[in-house]
Amino acid sequence: MLDNTSFVIYGVIVSAISFLLIYFLTPFAIKSLVAKKRVVPDAHKPDKPSVPRPAGPVMIVGLAAAEIVLYFLTMNNAVLAILLTTIIAFLVGYVDDKRVLPGWFKPVALLGAAIPLVILGAHATNLNLVFGSAFIPLLYVPLIFVIIPITGNTVNSIDVLNGVASRFVIIASIPLMASIAIFGNVEVFLAALPLFFGTLALYKYHKFPSKIFPGDSGTLLLGAMYGALAIAGSSEIIGVIALLPAVMNSFLFLASVKRIVEHRQVKTRPVVLLEDYRLAASTEKLAPATLVRLILADGPLGEKEIGHKIFRLAVFTALLAFASIAIQFAILRL
Amino acid sequence: MGLASLALFVSGMWLMVLGVAAFLVIFVAPIDVTLFGGQGSAANVSLVQAAIAIVAVIALVFGLSRMKRIYLQKKLKQ
Repeated sequence: MLDNTSFVIYGVIVSAISFLLIYFLTPFAIKSLVAKKRVVPDAHKPDKPSVPRPAGPVMIVGLAAAEIVLYFLTMNNAVLAILLTTIIAFLVGYVDDKRVLPGWFKPVALLGAAIPLVILGAHATNLNLVFGSAFIPLLYVPLIFVIIPITGNTVNSIDVLNGVASRFVIIASIPLMASIAIFGNVEVFLAALPLFFGTLALYKYHKFPSKIFPGDSGTLLLGAMYGALAIAGSSEIIGVIALLPAVMNSFLFLASVKRIVEHRQVKTRPVVLLEDYRLAASTEKLAPATLVRLILADGPLGEKEIGHKIFRLAVFTALLAFASIAIQFAILRL
Repeated sequence: MGLASLALFVSGMWLMVLGVAAFLVIFVAPIDVTLFGGQGSAANVSLVQAAIAIVAVIALVFGLSRMKRIYLQKKLKQ
């Protein structure tokens, strides 16, 4: 158990490492990616400017450096498991960034990212269910293999417009950290700080208009790290609640297309780009339902306005997650 | 109007998630005692818990599908 002084010092160190490395290395990554012509068109803007991708490598440097330092400071297995899960998810995403792979690849390959959590025993035997906990020592292991691919792909699927995925993770990680602090343990809370501060640094470059896109390597590592923290921090349900708009987006998409496919493989687009570069909901019956399409059902909007609406929805969901924490806290004190 | 209807949809999802969590705590977690009288093997108890949890999650997905259909019919036909 850490004393208060060590807790504060370790927290400041890991937060600073992740934030500063990503903040100062990203401009170099942008220059390097542009020089190597690793750019993609930003489809929703006039003249479709080229934006470098992926930011995943610079993100993994910042996050892994912070987690490695934290591991050597605490020698905690859960920290090591979170680090390894994040690295494996990054590698899966990086392969997908380099090659066009079928839709099933990411969820299947992300099963591998769950392995460190099981082998290193980062999970509890009790599933935290807000109103109490369920002792499920055998069931918990398969559950981990469900949670990591879902959180990874859920964050990946919300990366549809400039800044949305990074801002969403920043907001969702606040109630998650609160829940870990209350119901989890100190080391996992410290391991969550790099996710928050690293993503905050990325947001400076990912916000509208984006100077870099995270790519699959960036979004999968964010989602898998978020899932690993929820598992190791006994905050599974709170983690799901904080992610609800993104979960809803994945669910609507899957329920529409009825199979696991990449967005680029869908023939009928959920939204259409108007001549004035605003986006409108598709009126095609076969177009998949997505969060953005539902937001646009009220009328066409610009990319920045849609991002702002998703931000407000993320804040609302974070409040629901805090309400859930309050319910659980009240029940625990009874 | 704006985001109000989407916030309502998300609130519905939240209540359904909490409902399933409550069901699992009240009925599934103590199943070792209620169904096996505290004598069941870990594998058997886990198997029954898994079966009930899967049914609960299928019911949750079915409920969400119904909610989605109603919401989409209302919104996209406006």
